[in-house]
Amino acid sequence: MEMNQYLDMFLEESKEHLQSINDHLLVLENKPSSMDEVNEIFRSAHTLKGMAATMGFEDMAKLTHEMENVLDQVKSGKMAIRPDIMDIIFQCVDILEGMVYSISENGDGRFDVSEAVNGLRRILKGETASTQAIGDSAQNEDPIAQEEIPFDEYEMTVLKQSIESGYSALWIKTTVRNDCVLKAARAYMVYNSLESVGEIIKCIPSVEELEEEKFDKSFDLVILTHKSEEELKKIVLNVSEIDSAEIRTIDLKSEAKENKKEEHEQSLQSPKASDQSSANGNLPVTGDSTNGQKKHTTSKTIRVDIERLDVLMNLFSELVIDRGRLDQLAKELLNGPLSETVEHMNRITGDLQNIILNMRMIPVEQVFNRFPRMVRDLSRELQKNLTLQIEGAETELDRTLIDEIGDPLVHLLRNSIDHGVESPEERKKAGKPEMGTILLKAFHSGNHVFIEVKDDGRGINRAKVLKKAIEKGIVSEQQSSSLTDKQVYDLLFSAGFSTAEKLSDISGRGVGLDVVKTKIEVLGGAVSVDSVPGKGTTFLIQLPLTLSIISSMLVDVGSEIFAVPLSSIIETAVFDKGQIMRAHQQDVIDFRGKVVPLVYLDRIFQISEEFTAHKEQISVLIIRKGDKMAGLVVDSFIGQQEIVLKSLGRYLGNVFAVSGATILGNGKVALIVDCNQLIK
Amino acid sequence: MANRILIVDDAAFMRMMIKDILTKNGFSVVGEASDGVQAVEKFKELNPDLVTMDITMPEMDGISAVKEIKKIDSNAKIIMCSAMGQQAMVIDAIQAGAKDFIVKPFQADRVLEAINKVIG
Repeated sequence: MEMNQYLDMFLEESKEHLQSINDHLLVLENKPSSMDEVNEIFRSAHTLKGMAATMGFEDMAKLTHEMENVLDQVKSGKMAIRPDIMDIIFQCVDILEGMVYSISENGDGRFDVSEAVNGLRRILKGETASTQAIGDSAQNEDPIAQEEIPFDEYEMTVLKQSIESGYSALWIKTTVRNDCVLKAARAYMVYNSLESVGEIIKCIPSVEELEEEKFDKSFDLVILTHKSEEELKKIVLNVSEIDSAEIRTIDLKSEAKENKKEEHEQSLQSPKASDQSSANGNLPVTGDSTNGQKKHTTSKTIRVDIERLDVLMNLFSELVIDRGRLDQLAKELLNGPLSETVEHMNRITGDLQNIILNMRMIPVEQVFNRFPRMVRDLSRELQKNLTLQIEGAETELDRTLIDEIGDPLVHLLRNSIDHGVESPEERKKAGKPEMGTILLKAFHSGNHVFIEVKDDGRGINRAKVLKKAIEKGIVSEQQSSSLTDKQVYDLLFSAGFSTAEKLSDISGRGVGLDVVKTKIEVLGGAVSVDSVPGKGTTFLIQLPLTLSIISSMLVDVGSEIFAVPLSSIIETAVFDKGQIMRAHQQDVIDFRGKVVPLVYLDRIFQISEEFTAHKEQISVLIIRKGDKMAGLVVDSFIGQQEIVLKSLGRYLGNVFAVSGATILGNGKVALIVDCNQLIK
Repeated sequence: MANRILIVDDAAFMRMMIKDILTKNGFSVVGEASDGVQAVEKFKELNPDLVTMDITMPEMDGISAVKEIKKIDSNAKIIMCSAMGQQAMVIDAIQAGAKDFIVKPFQADRVLEAINKVIG
């Protein structure tokens, strides 16, 4: 299929346009009179319509067409934006998003749009959406009963005269088959064969539009002929790929009556006509402007398939491995020129790495964009007054992270909206502004990106959390009194914990914040929570800048080499054996005044060689997870190195305390230690 | 007597496909041509009941061939074989006198439907 090559571009652009519609709708909702927004939405809907029709996604084209009609009314000032219009357009955008999603999943993008289309049509007719009745929509389904062909004065005269002189005027509705390709050519054939037996005086859509394939599945013709209905029907059906032909003799008297009615409805019909003309008129204009825009951007950026970047990254990872080998070789051979070259190559690959990593960076905006809409819908649903403030949307994150971070953020936001922010009444009582605020903020710091979700709601209720935790058996009553606030808040992340009194479909579906925590930890990040009772709650997500290349410390344990990510190492230290103490049946050391438990890597990974026995000193990596620390006892430190994270593959999914493997300079494989799992 | 059909297409593969469909359904393929010029010659020579005509071909394209054949026999029955996206060409061909068209990739029932309608 020839269209397939355009599919990616179509999907990409459709998503952009839908996002733009969403954005502008949200602005419009607050500023209903803003024509700029209406124009933007109209333009996007129009472009979508064109694209969808070209790609053959008829339902999508149909829906956008109706949207365009309504928007055109608004644009030309004939209709003001009302909440019901907003709602139905939002609804349409949702449907469109569903279609685009379905198409991207190799679906056919089909969707029953009749309800939305009818809603839009009702608005066009000046009714409010709330007066819709089911029977009404059923009537609209039947095109013959409802759709009348409007004739202008000239056509009426021609009709009248021909009927007087013995011709019969027949109205023919031809429907092509669903799977018909080249519809325009079929329409042409129908037109052609009918023209040989009579005179076609009217064609809806117009002949030009027919030839440009600007019709859905059916088109209407009015023909003056001596032939009978049956004969005509046979002629039409003799064209291949025609599904059906409905034929009706036009009765001038009733038509005349209808015409009067139409005049009555002139004000309603004319915009439709004007819409068509304006749509036609706009076509080249919008085309030009988008072309202009494209030209503008193509000179600065090019679109690259994300898979290519992944491949590039993978290839570069291999290069990093080789770099490691070369490095080692140069050190062994002690050859001056070789060392120099390797040194230089190290610098260059370092730069290259930066560039490649940067290429994969995408602003978090991509994820944040969909939140205003979600917050709006949710706050309506829960009848809470909310604004969402977004800061630092331009902060960049690795693409893989962008893809993954969406769901956890949705969860946190829902959590804040549902549990955090109080109802307007409650807020009033507490002396707070009725409008609650949720702040979504992203920022860079060091080698990490932080994302903060902060609400000004009621805060976390310590007593309630503790009560629940005890009920669920997560902590004992004794423990509970000695816990700090921070520790209590962290209980929220324990598995199976949900404080909502009753499950709502918003944030409690049995899964809780523990899912968020796991997800973020899988991404190599961390999440923490802080709260001030009565003032609000802050969730802080910490994410690494990138996933695939990490700085690590290589260590020897027996004959094995392990890599420990630098991000979790605080310090390296050497202790005398005598400094090891026992507490809670565990070896601990005194590290800068803190008692730090020791974890023996050789025991954890069951490496048999006894190495600590005949040594007077032990090498310890002080690692941390949040506020907690531990000392990782190893044989010796090898040094710091950039390593490429390779997953262990599907068969070794859940290996304790190992997050992956890497290939070292000498070709050996080293396991990467997952420090998070070593600290409980 | 089986209907005699001439297949015109520059791709041997496509000719084979149509031939397959037709012979399996009781039509007799009397000739094949791989460009417009050949098609016109074969038409003169064989005077088939029906011609299936590819649009894009070397030497002489399908539309010109339709016009030439129509000059020889104004009642000639020709079905165009088109690829998607050749809408305008298809319309040209029909204006030139082709009776119907089928769209690649061919589906047997479509091909037969078109042929039966044109011959019927």
